[in-house]
Amino acid sequence: MTGREPARRPGARVLLAIWAARLAMLALRVLRRPGTQVPGLVALRVHPGLIGAIAHPPRVVVVTGTNGKTTAANLLAGALEQQGMRVASNRNGSNLAAGVAASLVRAVDLRGRSRADVAVLEMDERSARLVLPGLDPDLLLCTNLTRDSIKRNAHPAYIAWIIQSSLPERTRLVLNADDLVTAGLGAAAEAAGTVAARGENPRVYFAVDAHAGDVPVPPGAVPPGAAVDVAICPVCATTLDWEYWRYNHIGKAVCPNCGFRSPEAQYRAREVDPERDRVVLDLDGDARAARLVNDNIVNVYNEVAVAAALDVLEVPRERIVAAFDTLQPPATRFSEERIGEVTLVRQLTKGLVGVACSRAFEYVMTFPGRKAVLLAIDEVTDRTTEVEMTAWTYDADYEALADDSVEQILVGGIRRHDQALRLAIAGVDPARIQTFASETIAADRVELDGMRVVANLHSVHNAPLTGTPVQARLRERLRAGESGSGGAA
Amino acid sequence: MSALTIEVLYPEIANLHGDLANIGYLAQCRPDARIVRTALTATPAFVAGPVDLLYLGPLTEDGQRLAIERLRPHREALQARVEAGGLTLFTHNALEVLGARVRNPEMGYELRGLELLPLEADLRMFGRYNGKVMGVLPEVGPEHPVLGWKSQFSRVTTTAELPGFLTADRGVGRDESTPVEGVRVGGLLGTSLLGPLLVANPHLTRWLLRELDPDAEPVLAHEELALAAYDARLRDFRDPRRWHRFEKVRR
Repeated sequence: MTGREPARRPGARVLLAIWAARLAMLALRVLRRPGTQVPGLVALRVHPGLIGAIAHPPRVVVVTGTNGKTTAANLLAGALEQQGMRVASNRNGSNLAAGVAASLVRAVDLRGRSRADVAVLEMDERSARLVLPGLDPDLLLCTNLTRDSIKRNAHPAYIAWIIQSSLPERTRLVLNADDLVTAGLGAAAEAAGTVAARGENPRVYFAVDAHAGDVPVPPGAVPPGAAVDVAICPVCATTLDWEYWRYNHIGKAVCPNCGFRSPEAQYRAREVDPERDRVVLDLDGDARAARLVNDNIVNVYNEVAVAAALDVLEVPRERIVAAFDTLQPPATRFSEERIGEVTLVRQLTKGLVGVACSRAFEYVMTFPGRKAVLLAIDEVTDRTTEVEMTAWTYDADYEALADDSVEQILVGGIRRHDQALRLAIAGVDPARIQTFASETIAADRVELDGMRVVANLHSVHNAPLTGTPVQARLRERLRAGESGSGGAA
Repeated sequence: MSALTIEVLYPEIANLHGDLANIGYLAQCRPDARIVRTALTATPAFVAGPVDLLYLGPLTEDGQRLAIERLRPHREALQARVEAGGLTLFTHNALEVLGARVRNPEMGYELRGLELLPLEADLRMFGRYNGKVMGVLPEVGPEHPVLGWKSQFSRVTTTAELPGFLTADRGVGRDESTPVEGVRVGGLLGTSLLGPLLVANPHLTRWLLRELDPDAEPVLAHEELALAAYDARLRDFRDPRRWHRFEKVRR
């Protein structure tokens, strides 16, 4: 693909914004303060249109989506660096408009000249209208759009509308064919009311072919689960049939009435082999065996999405495949360790986001044997100054935990009774549920005798205060060979 | 105890914000109930025969348009049902389907609703309102106020005479200018509150179960857990430190 026009000489206000942001970065470094948002906020204060006005690298790639955007952006940036490119990214910063602005500032010298070959910028979906019109990316990769925070993101179609209404028509899109919310991005539209007409973006699609983990859905039935956002045909509103279905609205659909189908993907992952860590990546008809970066289906999507983006960026295919030999997804969200006969699992289970919790529950259930689950996923900011809206728990498939292999579920936190009720409604035997006001005491109270899996599920905001000490205490007890409850007060 | 029929309209699209759990919970409270899930392509059951409770839940903006379109041929049947006192629970933006207009300038459309209520909804796609609501439903009693949340793009305006579902003691009502929340006309219980309301408010659910079947003593599923969750939430809702300026009615 061809790059963009060379940048014009920066104006005085752009230079001022760059210098102010650089000064803020320096001050934060000297003061050893994190403040990843601050330099970008300073830059945008000096020049609100900086994202469009600053010199961009010759190629600009945006990665967005509800889940997997951090992983996909990191994999993509890493792969491009392996090609010897100078990559500007917000890997260590924020994915809001201020973070994007700060990354662009870092990518220019003090005279405002670009010093990167390519920018790979992760973008929060809701920030699209503040970022995309000015950034005018050459390529946008959208991993998926599923339900997120009810308060902030409402529903996926709303987020798709935000992206669509901010999207420059020239931007080439790399989209998930197995997600009909995402797949509709970049479509042409006629003018309606106050909304202007738009043309169609150039688009390619990626998908993961049918595989053993798919769940059959009978013809005419709505897929199971709490949060299915596409069940009807977008053309005629008939209930869709599914050639394969995975979770939420992710799968390949066909309308039995009008013949509407999910788009055909030019880039496909198939023959996923977790035993040998291998996958076949079909790159627009050119099938190549590659290393499977991670066997979680979400990361299989990320891998083929990154391969598609690299192919569109004209990276030679042998190098695309070779890149996956060394790339690793970020390890901050999941860990697994074996202590004696027990597998200790730590899994980020993002509270307030039902879909993310469903994936976490399902993943824990892939471990065989008797399980104890420690659950502390309250929203920290709602502990003292709010009352958490618990509606999101009914967008999550707690039903996955209603299995005989889950012998104990220990729930900690201020909304423990709501969590316990949700579990009972999901079919978990109330006798297996224990509640504690403390988020950490469950690490002492869990019965370890005979357990094969102990899962420590915590949210994002309580990761250091809850997730880490719970993990340490569980590790300590397991290494000491404790079998019953620790009995601490 | 007579067998109950509960009809859920268009669950394939009216399923946002976990609100279908309202019906899932009722079904656990009354395992004998017949749950009819009516697809967009089907004729609603309430048109052809008796239905004890009719339910419509939260929709996307496009889903709202579809629901109006599919219910329009059954407008008179719906009106007759509500006027005859047939229990009809519409939650979140499903209530707006029954109104006169839905205006959405940012998405560039204006919809004509079913015009059963003198109610208009204005959507602000970049001004979603999030807040709590606490108010009393007289039949449930002041000791057990209804607790719920709003999370919506719409502000609803109507005539002052249209009775509300409840009057908020704390939090805002149909919009930021009134404590009157939702609509209660005939058998209609229309509220924008999320929760899911019937899971989060066991005392309200007990009352509804009694209304649905006066001959049967209401039984709450997982009663002990539901009451514990409600009591803890009520304590928090009564804590003034948890209420914010935007949750106050601007008079």
